[in-house]
Amino acid sequence: MAPQPLSDIKVLDFMWAIAGPGSTRMLADYGATVVRVESAHRFDATRTVGPFVNGRPGAENSGLFFNMNVGKRMLTLDLSKEKARSVVLDLVRWADVVTESFSPKAMRAWGFDYESLRKIKPSIIMLSTCLMGQTGPMAQYAGFGNLAAAIAGFTNIAGWSDRPPAGPFGAYTDYIAPWFNAAAILAALEYRDRIGLGQHIDLSQAEASLHFLGSALLDAEINGKVQQRTGNRDINYAPHGVYPTAGVDRWIAIAVTNDDQWNNLCSVMGRSDLIAAPHFSTPTARLTHQDQLDELLSMWTKEKDPFRLEQELQARGVPATAVRSMGEMYNDPQLQHRGHFVQLTHPKYETTTVEGSRFRLSRTPANITGSAATIGKDNQYVLETLLGYSEERITELVAAGVLE
Amino acid sequence: MLSPYRVLDLTTERGLLCGQILGDLGADVIKIEPPGGSPARRLAPFYHDEPHPDRSLYWWANNRNKRGITLNLDHADGRAIIHRLAKTAHFVIESDNPGALARRQCGYADLATINPALVYVSITPFGQDGPRASYADSDLVILAAGGPLVLTGDEDRAPVRVSVPQAYLHASGQAAVAALIAHHERQRSGRGQHVDVSAQQAVAQATQSSLLAGPLGERDFQRLAGGVKMGPVKVRLVWPAKDGYVSIGFLFGSAMGHFTKRLMQWVHEEGCCDEATRDKDWVAFGSIFLGDPATIKEYERLVGIVERFSASKTKAELLQEALKRALLIAPVQTTKEVLASEQLAAREYWQSLEHPELGQTIRYPGPFAKFSAAPLRYRYRPPTVGEHNREVYVDELGFSEQQVEEMQHVGVI
Repeated sequence: MAPQPLSDIKVLDFMWAIAGPGSTRMLADYGATVVRVESAHRFDATRTVGPFVNGRPGAENSGLFFNMNVGKRMLTLDLSKEKARSVVLDLVRWADVVTESFSPKAMRAWGFDYESLRKIKPSIIMLSTCLMGQTGPMAQYAGFGNLAAAIAGFTNIAGWSDRPPAGPFGAYTDYIAPWFNAAAILAALEYRDRIGLGQHIDLSQAEASLHFLGSALLDAEINGKVQQRTGNRDINYAPHGVYPTAGVDRWIAIAVTNDDQWNNLCSVMGRSDLIAAPHFSTPTARLTHQDQLDELLSMWTKEKDPFRLEQELQARGVPATAVRSMGEMYNDPQLQHRGHFVQLTHPKYETTTVEGSRFRLSRTPANITGSAATIGKDNQYVLETLLGYSEERITELVAAGVLE
Repeated sequence: MLSPYRVLDLTTERGLLCGQILGDLGADVIKIEPPGGSPARRLAPFYHDEPHPDRSLYWWANNRNKRGITLNLDHADGRAIIHRLAKTAHFVIESDNPGALARRQCGYADLATINPALVYVSITPFGQDGPRASYADSDLVILAAGGPLVLTGDEDRAPVRVSVPQAYLHASGQAAVAALIAHHERQRSGRGQHVDVSAQQAVAQATQSSLLAGPLGERDFQRLAGGVKMGPVKVRLVWPAKDGYVSIGFLFGSAMGHFTKRLMQWVHEEGCCDEATRDKDWVAFGSIFLGDPATIKEYERLVGIVERFSASKTKAELLQEALKRALLIAPVQTTKEVLASEQLAAREYWQSLEHPELGQTIRYPGPFAKFSAAPLRYRYRPPTVGEHNREVYVDELGFSEQQVEEMQHVGVI
């Protein structure tokens, strides 16, 4: 079997919460050795966020934390202790990449800023990511992705035009930033391998995420049009909505993106008379009459079984899906088929479940095994095996309270 | 950083951002469109609201740093050209339905025979295989199938999406990462592979792991206007301000409690709560997620206090104080407010690109990161239809002007 794609990559990871750990998780899935530094005194915030094992909050129970950190080497370090400094610097010498997501002054205060680290290892690649970037009047602004989602403009445009913003779920930009963080690290590695130069990457979560609003920002810039909350409506397609079905809080999403799909929807509805109706026959006509279309579809779907309806519509090539609840996602046949869920061992619960790799590489697939990312689980491995510390030195560090 | 590498971007209207990310990182990306132009060029919004293949802002937002050529893969001569290009390319990105390009001899197996080192990236709604692999899709359908939709919206209405399509942007971002992982491996092994990206699985990331609720034995997370319902607890994130809305993290427990302590200090200073409320143990209040009815009732009282407080201040007042006191408060901004951001201006975020065909310069969202040694550069504005045909077919592939004209005439390009 071929070695894992990133088996030669070593990452010293100070990132926390979701956006950062979600980025290095992908590198770990494909073989990178990621040493994740955590404080035993002040846990990563995601350890206090669910979903929790058996619904019980607890630092070693967060499914979110396990999901973001599976496959990493978990090291506890008290960075306020002087002796922790030499451990960090040894890890910097060991690493190809150092990542951090503190507010910009933190690494400088510890003497772990890029200028200091490159003196120790000139080829080091360092990624610093925070909400607003390392410079500017808001550089020190700290928080989570729900705040960057508000600032970047996502929150304002999720919801109904006649109601306050509902906002995208949770810390939305935390789910965008990982793609850019990981791509940035991999590109910098490629550059270092070819040119021999390391570098510092300053990635603002808000700035990267604005690429997910590109067309709306250009529309505002060029046409002066401010994107509004439009429920589930689309500027290009109609009908386009989430319609009620039989059952409590049950819905089906239907989106017609061309005339063929419209024709087929009409015949599934048993309303072939609508195909040629002039007020619906072209995309522009359908957009103009979408109130009427939404009413028509809601009337038709509301007594029907959403899952059966999904099959009937999909059989005719109409984009549609029953809306599944979070609890039902685990049994989603497509996700199951793709191996989306993976079992890990857990010292307390025997097993726990995380998501697998979201994509597949045909020749060198992801390897997601091992145990959940419990606090300090790899202290011994990191110090002894990766850094070659003697048992005596490790005992000394333990006694000095450095590994906390 | 990726300047030695060539990307053939065959994506349809879905998956365009992947090539743009690689292009921003320096790769030579050739966007290959059917004669007449990509279907993505028909998507609104448009420059000055004029539907025109070279004026789609959806196209502009996702095709910078690419050169553009037209090529007909349904024509045997067109396929011969793509096979020739594939010989020296490093990446192919495509987003057709599974098997569609294989039927035109441009699938992974076909191109890997020509160039075994090729990294071939397929971006599809549900992945290359499985019971829904051939499902018809759209942004809305993917967001519903991947989970984020059901978590978003007012509880008394249908779940909602973000009003600007998101699903294929997530899939594209992920595809760029996956392509670069396969590339790193190729640098050692000399061999390429097939990268299979499922948009459904990509957007599942935006559920914040809530889709693990089932196997973990956790309560279902449910949508709530401006927040989320976890069992009986209604966690609120969007709050009223005097002149709009703000996002406030009114949260508790060991990691968040100290933010709330500072917030309630301010709320008290402004006379909006009593001392007992200010001095609550906000770390211990994290036990709210255990679902005790008395704690939940108390939480609802506190929500009322914070709501009355936030509604009495403007977005700017709340942000200013958030910066001073390190609070979890952010203004809910419109796209227009984003364009006027002082922070983005101070960082010289926006990048101007010249559109000679319009005699105008347009301001685009800037590089997604600042690299100290190899800064990202915006080299090309999004190409007009077939803009680089001559450059690629004549200058690089060695066709004569006459041959190019002939190919155009018979519909090869």
